[in-house]
Amino acid sequence: MTLDEDSTRRRLAGFVARASSARDAVIVTLERMSGGAVQENWALDVELDGKLRHWVLRTDATATVRESLTRAQEFAVLKVAHAAKVLSPEPLFLCDDPAVTGQLFFIMERLPGVAAGHRITRDAKLVPDGARLARELAANLARLHRITPAHAGLEFLPTMRARDCIAHYRGYLDTLSHPYPALEWGLRWCELNAPQREDTTFIHRDYRTGNYLVDEGRLAGVLDWEFSAFGNPLEDIGWMCARCWRFARPDLTVGGIAGVEDFVPEYEQMSGRRITPGDLQYWQVMAHLRWAIIALQQLERHLSGTQRSLELALTGHLVGQIELEILNLTGAP
Amino acid sequence: MNDRPDACDLLEIARHAFTAEILPAVPEPLRYTALMVANAMAIAQRELAAGDSPLREEYRRLAGLLSQNPAAPDGSALRDGVESYNRRLANEIRAGRFDGEKRAAVLEHLRRTTEEKLAISNPKALVPG
Repeated sequence: MTLDEDSTRRRLAGFVARASSARDAVIVTLERMSGGAVQENWALDVELDGKLRHWVLRTDATATVRESLTRAQEFAVLKVAHAAKVLSPEPLFLCDDPAVTGQLFFIMERLPGVAAGHRITRDAKLVPDGARLARELAANLARLHRITPAHAGLEFLPTMRARDCIAHYRGYLDTLSHPYPALEWGLRWCELNAPQREDTTFIHRDYRTGNYLVDEGRLAGVLDWEFSAFGNPLEDIGWMCARCWRFARPDLTVGGIAGVEDFVPEYEQMSGRRITPGDLQYWQVMAHLRWAIIALQQLERHLSGTQRSLELALTGHLVGQIELEILNLTGAP
Repeated sequence: MNDRPDACDLLEIARHAFTAEILPAVPEPLRYTALMVANAMAIAQRELAAGDSPLREEYRRLAGLLSQNPAAPDGSALRDGVESYNRRLANEIRAGRFDGEKRAAVLEHLRRTTEEKLAISNPKALVPG
């Protein structure tokens, strides 16, 4: 059963009509969107009682990553984020009946704009004012970090503070047949420099260029909530500032669109939280460790034969670059 | 012995033909895959050209850090030896045995090893800036 089949489309139209209490739902377009190795996104245009709606249907891809939320959990997260006025697509309907398409899916609003990191960091027409976009991202992140545990509807989220991250990444390295001394070095550095006390808030854990939509130069919404958790809000800041998300502009620390001075003060003002250069350094190291672990997980899918792929194979050859960045960030005498 | 040219030369000339003649004609949707193919061939070629000298250097440095005999074995024993020393190094770093006076030495080793890896994986990453 695939979304390309007429019978699936008929069942989907029936689900949409029931879920939206419409008399009549006609699927006008259903096309696979680019990106999403973990989840599949389908552009879905539906005529609902004669009125055209532009939606996205989000469902599991065949290759699943061990750490991501289920679609039902992601739907719950989006509901909370949207209600907290975080710029994000509005979640509309969750379908937990596998008889409809064969898999769990949900439908959300389709926001306008471009997400592709290499375009956003290269094309000045898309982002005429990078500093303004960085301030919008900072303010939006501060709104997101106002959600705190325990939050009704988010009981399933794990808590990942600094020491939890270190234990988790070490646990993963221990499952591999190959040792990574440079990553162990970074993890030991993070252990020795771990913060004495940490705030715990809702965190996105993939808040970065490539995962938000820019429309007419402004932030339209944040995508891909499947890694969210409770944890140290500074983790999201470090991730946003990691070298891997700068694409065409490695000189611009904040996601290849702006400098730290355009992002951090706005975040501090909107969140009431202070970020020292030491905090930024610490969470950039942690960001690179996490990126290395994700790269190794992807490589392992290739090596184990689960999913033989040239792209996954080459991901293994990114690890050296990430290690060099970790050594540069932690190697001061 | 196999006929000439050797694997390294074959990869080089195959990659040259691919990037000079095929890549320009590749339609846009396949361009990313084509670039990945060229990149994979370049990495394999650099690995073959480097031979086992980076591995010997790594063995010598690891033996020094772990206070072992620096004479590197040959063949598959070399790879196994580096792997096993790296496992020990990883464990000792985690246990904090390189926090103190050996910190500078281990950092120097990790930096050299990472640079040697990048000379094969991605030499562009070694250019500062």
